[in-house]
Amino acid sequence: MISVRRKVNRESSRAPHGARPSLSGFALALPPLLLVVVFVGIPILIGLTFSLGFTQGPNRVISLIGQQIHIKSHWWGTFAAYSDVLHDSRFLGDLALTLVVTSISTVFVIAMALGIAMYQRLIGGKKASVLVTLSIVPLFVPVVISAWAIHTFYGGDGFMRTLFSHLGINFPTLTSTPVAIVIGSVWTALPFSILMISSGMQAIPNALIEAARDCGAPTPKIISNILIPLARTPIIIAASFTAIGILGSYTIPLFLGPNQPTMLGVEISNFFGAYNRPQQSLVMAFFVFLAASGIAILYVWQNIKSARESGRI
Amino acid sequence: MRHSLRLPRLLLNLAIAFMALFILGPLIWLAAHAFVSDWHYPNFYPSGFTFHWWSRVFLDSALSTAMRNSLIISPIVVLCSMVICLPAAYAVGRINFWGRRAFMIGIFSANSFPKIGLFAAIATLYYSLNLMGTFVGVVIIQLLGTIIYMTWIPAAAFAAVPRNLEEAARDAGANKFTVFRTITLRMAMPGILVAIVMSFLAAFDEAQGTYLVGAPSIFTMPTEMYSLVQNYPIQVAAVFSLLLTLPSVLLLSLARKHIMGGQLAEGFQLK
Amino acid sequence: MMSEKSGFGLELRGLRKTLGGRLIIDDLNLSVADGEMISLLGPSGCGKTTTLRMIAGFLAPDAGQIVLAGKDVTELGPDKRPSAMVFQNYALWPHMSAAKNVAYPLKIKGLTKVEIKERVEAALELVNLLHHKDSRPGQISGGEQQRVALARALVQEPDVLLLDEPLSNLDAKLREKVREDIRELQRRLKITTVIVTHDQEEALSISDRVAVMNSGRIEQFSTPQELYRRPATEYVATFIGSLNYFDGKLVGDRVVSGPGVVGIRPEDVIIMPAGSAGSYPGTVELVIPRGHFFEVVVLREDGRFRIFTNDNIPQIGESVHLQIKKALHYENGHLVE
Repeated sequence: MISVRRKVNRESSRAPHGARPSLSGFALALPPLLLVVVFVGIPILIGLTFSLGFTQGPNRVISLIGQQIHIKSHWWGTFAAYSDVLHDSRFLGDLALTLVVTSISTVFVIAMALGIAMYQRLIGGKKASVLVTLSIVPLFVPVVISAWAIHTFYGGDGFMRTLFSHLGINFPTLTSTPVAIVIGSVWTALPFSILMISSGMQAIPNALIEAARDCGAPTPKIISNILIPLARTPIIIAASFTAIGILGSYTIPLFLGPNQPTMLGVEISNFFGAYNRPQQSLVMAFFVFLAASGIAILYVWQNIKSARESGRI
Repeated sequence: MRHSLRLPRLLLNLAIAFMALFILGPLIWLAAHAFVSDWHYPNFYPSGFTFHWWSRVFLDSALSTAMRNSLIISPIVVLCSMVICLPAAYAVGRINFWGRRAFMIGIFSANSFPKIGLFAAIATLYYSLNLMGTFVGVVIIQLLGTIIYMTWIPAAAFAAVPRNLEEAARDAGANKFTVFRTITLRMAMPGILVAIVMSFLAAFDEAQGTYLVGAPSIFTMPTEMYSLVQNYPIQVAAVFSLLLTLPSVLLLSLARKHIMGGQLAEGFQLK
Repeated sequence: MMSEKSGFGLELRGLRKTLGGRLIIDDLNLSVADGEMISLLGPSGCGKTTTLRMIAGFLAPDAGQIVLAGKDVTELGPDKRPSAMVFQNYALWPHMSAAKNVAYPLKIKGLTKVEIKERVEAALELVNLLHHKDSRPGQISGGEQQRVALARALVQEPDVLLLDEPLSNLDAKLREKVREDIRELQRRLKITTVIVTHDQEEALSISDRVAVMNSGRIEQFSTPQELYRRPATEYVATFIGSLNYFDGKLVGDRVVSGPGVVGIRPEDVIIMPAGSAGSYPGTVELVIPRGHFFEVVVLREDGRFRIFTNDNIPQIGESVHLQIKKALHYENGHLVE
């Protein structure tokens, strides 16, 4: 049973601003920051320049290896690679599939997580615990295994088809379809969302729900007026994380999806490796990053908004 | 507490049955294949049971090398991650330094870049630094995936230690280091443990990046899976899957109390 | 504002409740007159909060009936009962303004926007918080939050108002003022009110009658004066006010051994100089100034006495005679007249 987290006055835990030299804090935070800057920040920047046609310096080796490299024609580079990608019907098909699969999967994940979390909050009991525990199981399994297990389960000679063939029904082979990607994405994303949303719901004091009942509110109203607004932050965190994760996913669509169109994560790898078109591969990566950033901004904005509302900022 | 809402028992049992099938079905189906000799569609039962595939896996040099690599590299990655990230987590949780929030958001954003796209970009850098196909290269790639867990979660844990408990220890005569060791660290330990477990799993299960920079010289268990499923019978993949899942199950069972106790959820709130 | 009502405001008949294997409430009976304000008084664990929650509908009794304003509500949930509760920690929804909190029950009922606005503003006016109608709970003080919670209860025009430890979260100075405000409001609106409290001073000062509870039963349900002057049981006598009590019985001014227990209020003892004929002397141990009176502790052969007095203050060590004006005798826990 998920316990209610302690409410702690955060302000008393952290030194007041300016009371201690902020230099020591900054110094301690430096190592991971440097690591991220060097191995994530710089590659992203270099990758950005490469996508814009800067082929010298750190980009020299990859430019020699790759094909269909566009070299910069202006001082700021060239949009030729971007144009390539945007006019590539394969990319557009992948983009559409990626956005649709991400949206549908996220909706399913949040709906399931909300349903189970609310059931546990309002009614509780052994059956609720069973549902929560089941939802957490995928956390224990590495993604590669999950993808493969789901593949064998829904595949041509998998469990589903085996079961239904004995009932005389021809269950469709779901592998290599977008449906399988949704199934796999929901399967792997469920634990985190359940943990976040359930934790958020459990943190709502009983008195707030009882007060609503005392005012005459029926359960649907309690859910929409009290539970969901008060758990808004964990819900948005869960949705953001889920969407960002599915957006850039690779293993699940690789094992479960069709060859074409496929999710952008797989296409990026295809273009970089098999088709040897690294520049276009990076362009696609930036489009995915753009979409992910948009979602991340939503998450950050929501966090700051809720911190401001509760008086923390 | 009394409720005016009563879910019909049938609906509830159907939901549980559905979830059990949806979640456990694929796992049980795959696990079963690790112990069967032959199982052809559309038979509901396999032809026979055997442990033959297990010896197959352990005797295969490529597969056992991959297992050895995983078991060596992952702990090293976690150790490096702790050394690099825990001081930063302490700073984020306890010191209101300039750029603290930007730092956290930056770490989070770096994690939002699609891993596969990032690795494509990193490959370029790796080529120039001669890190492709090296042990260090693989460690760095896996390390990157652990940073978000080793900073955010311990930061929340450190922040949650009440100041007055430390003040009471100082008042009783302990010096700063003793206070840190016996009070702060001890109270933040559940969060740190969860971070260690999540980081280990992130490193152990890391496949995409490791494949991109490690192949063809270094293979870990996950990257081995990619080729395994195409080149070996399903039973071998099933055995390998069980072996790969074992550390996860063990570690997460140990940390289950703390993960379900909210350390994970608490860790991802921006404060 | 209130409609005409007659009969009992609240009736509890034969309530029984077991929680966690323990029998919390056993055959509880209570009749509250319409428009009366009563308190359920007792230490933690006596069952007063359990009783309140059963009245509100958050707990279902194992046996018995609950009748609010003549209507048997035992089978109804809290949303259907004509009662309104002010929770101990106020339970204001943090994401809604004060006005929205107060408006909520009316919104549920489906009143029009105009009606809601009118009634919300009237309720907030009643508790003097109209100027904070758009403030969030996090922006106002504890006392102000409580008034919003009160307004939210009153705006429902309940037949029974329930208050759970209304003063326990307020600082001492505020407590007295809020006490008077609640009393004044209740007198004006004439709503049947039940207050749960562990503070006997609070219960005695604002209630028409007080039910003193012990281990799930009501030991006495009377006016404050009655409770103080004629506590029906030993438990009530020691719970309400201060009491000197000894095993035995009082003969003259002396406590002699015997069955039963004798209780003497500190103000019912007169300090006289020792030495007069037939005096039974005791030694003054402590003299404590308490503001507008003195507390004097005297040790005598038959026991130690705490005395409240304002004249003839003795010195420490002095030998004095104590004259006992009035005493309460208990046998098997019950008052013997």
